[in-house]
Amino acid sequence: MSNFVLETINLSHIYSKGTTSQVDAIRDICLKIEKGELVGVIGHTGSGKSTLIQHFNGLLKGTSGTVLLDGSDIWADKSKLRNVRFRVGICFQYPEYQLFEETVYKDVAFGPKNMKLSDSEVDLRVREAISFVGLDESYLEKSPFDLSGGEKRRVAIAGVMAMKPDVLILDEPCAGLDPKGRETVLNLIKDYRETTESTVIIVSHSMEDISKLATKVLVMNNSRLAYYGTVDEVFSHAEELKEMGLNIPQITGLFLRLKEKGFDVRTDIYTLEKAKDEILKLLKGGCL
Amino acid sequence: MISDITIGQYYKAESFIHKLDARAKIILTVLFIALIFLCKNFISLALTLVMVILSVLLSSVPVKMYIKSLKPIIPIVLFTAVLNMFYTGGENVVFSFKGITLTSEGIFTAIFLAARIVLLIIASSILTYTTVPTMLTDAIEKLLSPLKLFKVPVQSWAMMMTLALRFIPTLIEEIEKITNAQKSRGADFESGRLLQRIKAVIPIIIPLFVSSFRRASDLAYAMSCRCYTGADTRTRMKQMKMRIRDFVCIIIFITSIAGVILLNNLFGAVI
Repeated sequence: MSNFVLETINLSHIYSKGTTSQVDAIRDICLKIEKGELVGVIGHTGSGKSTLIQHFNGLLKGTSGTVLLDGSDIWADKSKLRNVRFRVGICFQYPEYQLFEETVYKDVAFGPKNMKLSDSEVDLRVREAISFVGLDESYLEKSPFDLSGGEKRRVAIAGVMAMKPDVLILDEPCAGLDPKGRETVLNLIKDYRETTESTVIIVSHSMEDISKLATKVLVMNNSRLAYYGTVDEVFSHAEELKEMGLNIPQITGLFLRLKEKGFDVRTDIYTLEKAKDEILKLLKGGCL
Repeated sequence: MISDITIGQYYKAESFIHKLDARAKIILTVLFIALIFLCKNFISLALTLVMVILSVLLSSVPVKMYIKSLKPIIPIVLFTAVLNMFYTGGENVVFSFKGITLTSEGIFTAIFLAARIVLLIIASSILTYTTVPTMLTDAIEKLLSPLKLFKVPVQSWAMMMTLALRFIPTLIEEIEKITNAQKSRGADFESGRLLQRIKAVIPIIIPLFVSSFRRASDLAYAMSCRCYTGADTRTRMKQMKMRIRDFVCIIIFITSIAGVILLNNLFGAVI
């Protein structure tokens, strides 16, 4: 078995093929995602991020190309497609709108129950998932519709986590949350990954969030894969990223401008620590 | 997929019929229906057919589109035509075999029935292909406005119709999103017995209802913020205007109806 949990080979998807409204949503994506990574997916609206992730669990079938999960084609056996969905869990944007059960418990149990697990296993997973998202067990008997927005979001995320997927994909998990809510959600994702050692993919608009969390960054631009690499590698292309209309982290922006002014600094800096070191180096070098 | 369903199947073009007033087009469609049902012999049917073909050609909508709208009803047409063919009694027996008799009355009834259904679909397709749904509701509002005398809230009805049409694509999109989310949690919509399949829809229906109510209340707030009071004082950005061509068309149609009645009497009815 390879080290890559997810692979795509020349994956393309064309919407409404053959009509006048034909759109190339993604083109020729070749990608290898290693086990245990936390991949941040960035790209502006319409760049194909959401289309791409819907291929990872077989919600969409590529017009051409293949998707491999642990080295085997997910479309090889259609009857196994549901198993693929249990192994690659997607939590969509605004997941709170998918809640439907009377109690939080039942809603979180929906996924595990579809997996046909035993009652005791389902119970275990629900309790585990709800603690992953930082809610206590008193929530289990509440109606999901009585919760606050942030709590609903966390319950919905727990609903996907309860399936214990090998790959957890979150599409804009922080959209529409206040700063405190964002931090809670990001931290719980981090904790989840550290505890379960699973692969996590996060789609986000926020470079700051991605640079803080991710081990790898995937940049989509105009339906194509622009970059895929470590955070350092990708942010070293700061200027190209800016050209794509993407926000770069504020710290990176600062160093870019320093360089423009003629200072000899690196531009792949995105954390406060590294920024401190670089500036100290600059000061010691006696340029100022 | 669900998104393949075309609703408010407007076909964008710049034809004579597209430019007609929406009210005139509704009146013309009603006259068309009258025309289609008044035909009682082949000569008047031929006249109606000419009118339909002319309208189709004038609409600049590809004939392919009309065939597409006819496709789903072909089995029904054939089924009813065949049934009528054998169950209509009459004196002129054309064919008789082992108790099955076929009369000329039966054949005529079948032909007329099939022709009427097909023409009816084409006539109403011309209306929906050439008129934007919102214009249609506006026109219905105008045409029903005499009912205001009887305190019927015509304007609110029209507003409701417009909003309902406006939200169909939104709801379809919403259904797709929720379906994807539940599929990702292993929901199975494609297999199982009928009862299981019905149960499988619950995880889609409930979130859909919840979000529809949320949308409705958001929309109500937004409308109030823009001073919508539901009063009759609203004006329109696109004013509807009946022009000479609209009246000419209506007169042509009324003349054709007279013509059909005349032809019916001159040549005798076959059904």
